[in-house]
Amino acid sequence: MISHLPPGLIMIIAAIFLPFIPHFSRQIFMLAAIAFSAYGLFLGAGTHLVWNVLGFDLILYKADSLSLPFAIIFHLAAALNVIYSWHDRDWEQHCAALSYGGAAIAALHAGDLVSLFVWWEATAITSVFLILASGTERARKAAMRYLLFQVTSGVLLLAGAAVIASKTGDIRFTQMQLGNSATWLIFIAFGIKAAFPFLNGWLQDSYPEATPTGTVALSAFTTKLAIYALARGFPGTDALIWIGAAMTALPVFFAVIENDLRRVLAFSLNNQLGFMVVAVGVGTELAINGAVAHAFVHIIYKALLFMSMGAVLHQVGTIKASELGGLYKKMPFTMVCCVIGAMSISAFPLFSGFVAKSLTMSALGETGIVWAYFVLLFASAGVLEHSGIKIPYFAFFAHDSKIETTEAPIGMRIAMGIAAFLCVGIGVFPSFLYAILPYAIDYHPYDAGHVTSQMQLLIFATLAFAVLIRLRLYPPEVPSVVLNSDWFYRRLAPLVGIPILRFITAVWRVLLFQIRSFTIGIWDMFDQVMHSPLAGPTVCGKAVLIQVSLLALIFLILS
Amino acid sequence: MTTPSLKPSDLQRLGATFFKLLIVVAIVLLGLEFLIHRHGVVGAEESFMFPAIFGFVAFLFIVQIGKWLRLIIMRKEDYYD
Repeated sequence: MISHLPPGLIMIIAAIFLPFIPHFSRQIFMLAAIAFSAYGLFLGAGTHLVWNVLGFDLILYKADSLSLPFAIIFHLAAALNVIYSWHDRDWEQHCAALSYGGAAIAALHAGDLVSLFVWWEATAITSVFLILASGTERARKAAMRYLLFQVTSGVLLLAGAAVIASKTGDIRFTQMQLGNSATWLIFIAFGIKAAFPFLNGWLQDSYPEATPTGTVALSAFTTKLAIYALARGFPGTDALIWIGAAMTALPVFFAVIENDLRRVLAFSLNNQLGFMVVAVGVGTELAINGAVAHAFVHIIYKALLFMSMGAVLHQVGTIKASELGGLYKKMPFTMVCCVIGAMSISAFPLFSGFVAKSLTMSALGETGIVWAYFVLLFASAGVLEHSGIKIPYFAFFAHDSKIETTEAPIGMRIAMGIAAFLCVGIGVFPSFLYAILPYAIDYHPYDAGHVTSQMQLLIFATLAFAVLIRLRLYPPEVPSVVLNSDWFYRRLAPLVGIPILRFITAVWRVLLFQIRSFTIGIWDMFDQVMHSPLAGPTVCGKAVLIQVSLLALIFLILS
Repeated sequence: MTTPSLKPSDLQRLGATFFKLLIVVAIVLLGLEFLIHRHGVVGAEESFMFPAIFGFVAFLFIVQIGKWLRLIIMRKEDYYD
């Protein structure tokens, strides 16, 4: 019976009990809830739970070969987050993280647009507490902006679903074609959560403001849920190749100058999503496999990178590149895990990024869209720059920051160790990953030519970095803020909007004054006429005026 | 628990070792270029050391554009406060 519940729902129910369970038992309880939820996946493909409401079939539990790999990795990410945050006695954050993961997993199994909307919004409402938990004014403001975007995404999804329901009566979540208002609304809803260009500001704005453990949870679910939704709803949509290519290339330039290393990772996350979006846009079986494989390994290595930076922040109290450096002897385990994450995201052979990204690049190569291929190749060098080199270099090497610290808590280290093990394990034995992809696959990434090509790209790009460092031409990190698309609504909109609003308010006030003066003038005129009658005093002037007006009105109506 | 202290020369030595290692791997890759046939999506990709040149130039390009972008989109830390 328990297996027929939508996976994820158990985690949400379990989250309700967390405040009443003491610390250590709470962590065990959360892992048990995640295990129970994962047990539900053994029910296999098919539609397992349908609820008829107001004549609509809400498909609450539907599983297939696309939802399975996402469901596996979401459960794994939720479990890793529990281990990583083992030291944290704050039940609010655990409550938020567990229910957030549960909502995202439930969303994967929603077979209709209305159920999807419910879980889509649930991920927003639960996850915002991970940002608020930082307790700073900056975090509170970022959380509100985050919520605004997330809820807008949900509202657009609901609007699209409503239009489809009214037109066709069929709310099942299946493949859609862009071309009408409903599908465009849904596409933009997905695009907000997938951090499309100019819709991405919320990501880099809010994720780095969350707690060290909160950012790890945030990095796993929302954006990958959007990739899943795009892969189900819009595979083979040409526009996604353009959008995805822009997503891979543009964040590279922002990441290179960003000083906050968790924000660098947020830009990097955006860049990685671009690879997946391009793969969904290509839409062939190999490409969809590429998008799913990339999302799978990305969740692990991105979580690992955020975990390592979270560990540094937890121990040191800052994550600004300009204040860090030389921590490799103080936090050697964290450094090794960070380097493994960095090599995975850079797609070094024998690491997980290589076996996943190869699928997307091969699929893109087969289409013959050469420009997009080279944009992604360029973005690969960009990934190496900001995530492969900048993150470990400025945190653990660069210069001696004289910071005295020790290794991270044991829970953090265990979680990082597991994630690092998976990064290498999947890289060495990719067949385990390929076996759970949506389409059967016979792909061998370890071809001599392919490996040497990738090694040439990465080693010579690293050599460029080493040369720049030796020649002292690599720009130093400086305390700063990098303007991103959130600038449009944080600065430009108030800059332009407030004067416009002030002008409208001033005009409105003048208009009101004129109307008031005009009406007073009319009354004064009538008073003057009535108090100075031509034929001596009769009845009160205003009463006569009202009567005359009413009579005139009745006359007009009757005539 | 005490952590090992960092001497100023440690990072320089580490950097020099890493640089030498990179040079060795780069030379090995150069040698392999004559032994292994690389496949490419387009003809240009199969030309001599193409990924190496592409990676090296792309990296320099990103850093250079980053330097220029600092002038345009970089603000003080309290910009939004």
